[in-house]
Amino acid sequence: MTGVRWQLRAALILLGGAVRGAVQYRADIVFTMIAGALYNGAGFATIWVVLDRFEVIAGWDIGDMALLYGMRLVAHGLWLVPFNQLDWFSDHVREGSFDRYLVRPASPLLQLLTTRIQFSPFGDLISGLVVLGAAMSAVDVDWGPLTVAYLVFALIGGALIEGGIQLALSSIAFRTLKADQVKLTVDSVFNLFGNYPARIFGTAGQLVLSVIPVVFVAYLPASVLLGRVDAAGLPAVVAWLSPLAGVVVATASYLVWRRMLLGYQSSGT
Amino acid sequence: MPLIEARGLVKDFHRPRRRTGRFAGLRTLVSRERETVRAVDGVSFSIESGELVGYLGPNGAGKSTTIKMLTGILTPTAGEVTVAGVVPWRKRQDNARNIGVVFGQRSQLWWDLPLVESLRLVGKLYRMPRTRYEENLAKFVELLDMRPFLDTPVRQLSLGQRMRGDLAAAMIYEPAVLYLDEPTVGLDVIAKERIRKFVADLSSTSGTTVLLTTHDMDDVEALCERLILIDHGKVLYDGTPAALKDSYAPQRELVVQLASPCEVTVAGARTVESGEGVVRLSFDPAETPAAALISELFGNYPVTDVSLQETDLEDVIKKIYAGRS
Ligand SMILES: Nc1ncnc2c1ncn2[C@@H]1O[C@H](COP(=O)(O)OP(=O)(O)OP(=O)(O)O)[C@@H](O)[C@H]1O
Ligand SMILES: [Mg+2]
Repeated sequence: MTGVRWQLRAALILLGGAVRGAVQYRADIVFTMIAGALYNGAGFATIWVVLDRFEVIAGWDIGDMALLYGMRLVAHGLWLVPFNQLDWFSDHVREGSFDRYLVRPASPLLQLLTTRIQFSPFGDLISGLVVLGAAMSAVDVDWGPLTVAYLVFALIGGALIEGGIQLALSSIAFRTLKADQVKLTVDSVFNLFGNYPARIFGTAGQLVLSVIPVVFVAYLPASVLLGRVDAAGLPAVVAWLSPLAGVVVATASYLVWRRMLLGYQSSGT
Repeated sequence: MPLIEARGLVKDFHRPRRRTGRFAGLRTLVSRERETVRAVDGVSFSIESGELVGYLGPNGAGKSTTIKMLTGILTPTAGEVTVAGVVPWRKRQDNARNIGVVFGQRSQLWWDLPLVESLRLVGKLYRMPRTRYEENLAKFVELLDMRPFLDTPVRQLSLGQRMRGDLAAAMIYEPAVLYLDEPTVGLDVIAKERIRKFVADLSSTSGTTVLLTTHDMDDVEALCERLILIDHGKVLYDGTPAALKDSYAPQRELVVQLASPCEVTVAGARTVESGEGVVRLSFDPAETPAAALISELFGNYPVTDVSLQETDLEDVIKKIYAGRS
């Protein structure tokens, strides 16, 4: 009764509740989605302005850059849509309201994630899909079943990397009660450096970005799709296998989360 | 085998050691030194199926901490705990199916949903057959008088209404064990009565095992046939309320009304208070039977009325708390 099938069913039950709760604030839904889309549009416009000046960055033209940007944004949206409730996680831990997730017969993480529905991540995802769609027709890639399948795996892999890292960082809060700042910092690093070809940051920069591992989210798979495999100083096969990195990171992160959960201290009242 | 079993249960909490003096805040922040608070210190008890046990102790005694270990919220630092054969912190989800829990201080209902929707979600999470769910819902709505606010969003409920909702949500799936952590805190007399009656009913008709913490001795007098008293994380007493009264307050009191004020002296009783034609006598029933005392009074004094005072649990507990280190 704690198997995967039950967890999925429990998720649907809880999501049903979250949707019913959310429709009470209908206007908010529309505005947050618009805000999300505007925010990301502005982000891409910035890159556009920069590109327009230089035409080509490290051998990547505007179409290539749009593919990279779109892939990163879609990956970002893909993890944010289900995982946005992590933003409130350390509050739950500090206030002890995480207790309720530990006395119901469903995975605590899943209960946390289905607490409320947030609509701004859908804005991220939609604007990412728009950019990605436009980029796909602009770049010089032969979109067949293989390349599209690779793209899909790469997007999921990227989502798993970002989501996994944020999950592992969140679980620090079980010990320290607060992990918001480190999460925010890492998220901005991904946002700042994930959208550009890693080469422009030099050898040292590439090394750091591989370790963090920002380049695995979109840069490596994008370079594979564009037919100019750039493993940021790593063996080329690493670039090809980059979508798998997400599975590794997410699995390790989930184990860390489970381990850290045992240290949850609740609160005095 | 007992339904709930705790053996040598210990829970330590850690917090960063506070520094004093110059740059105290900064030094607290960077220091890795931690202070340990032992909230529960070797608690053992076993509770059989169907018992209704009061878990009492002063503020900070470790009651809530114990309950959180029994529910699987907290991992014990040491010791063992099983509830219906399950180790709660290892198998939280299995344990969750066997227990209901109400924390008076915090609701577990869905804040934005009408109460009835919360109950429906709980029913589904516990995979209740539809007809069974409807039956229980109807029964609880009746018992807890919830009809007036069944469709109100939980965030708009009053404390007493919310508490009834939480009780219903904890019991609608018929768990074998119910933990109540201060379920009557902040409620008015009528609301308290209703909750007591509901719990008494569950215990007698469904045989639910109940562990109750409260600071209201009326809850205990009304409900508990067994008390576990803890302080500083250690068990001080485990037994019936009557035996507790006998061991901590063996003296009983007799209030005597006199037709005219006069000095009263009887062998085997001590005058606690006298004046205005009323005398309070304290005596030990083991040495001086109440009947003998009363007949002696009637024989020698112009007595118009006597009343034997029940020993107040509140006073007994007060005495124990006051005498602790
Ligand atoms: N999450 C926590 N972190 C640190 N210390 C805690 C925590 N929870 C409880 N404590 C400490 O453990 C001790 C026992 O607390 P607990 O809440 O179990 O007491 P209690 O018997 O329920 O008291 P009350 O009657 O006031 O509810 C207290 O000293 C408290 O400060
Ligand atoms: Mg408490």
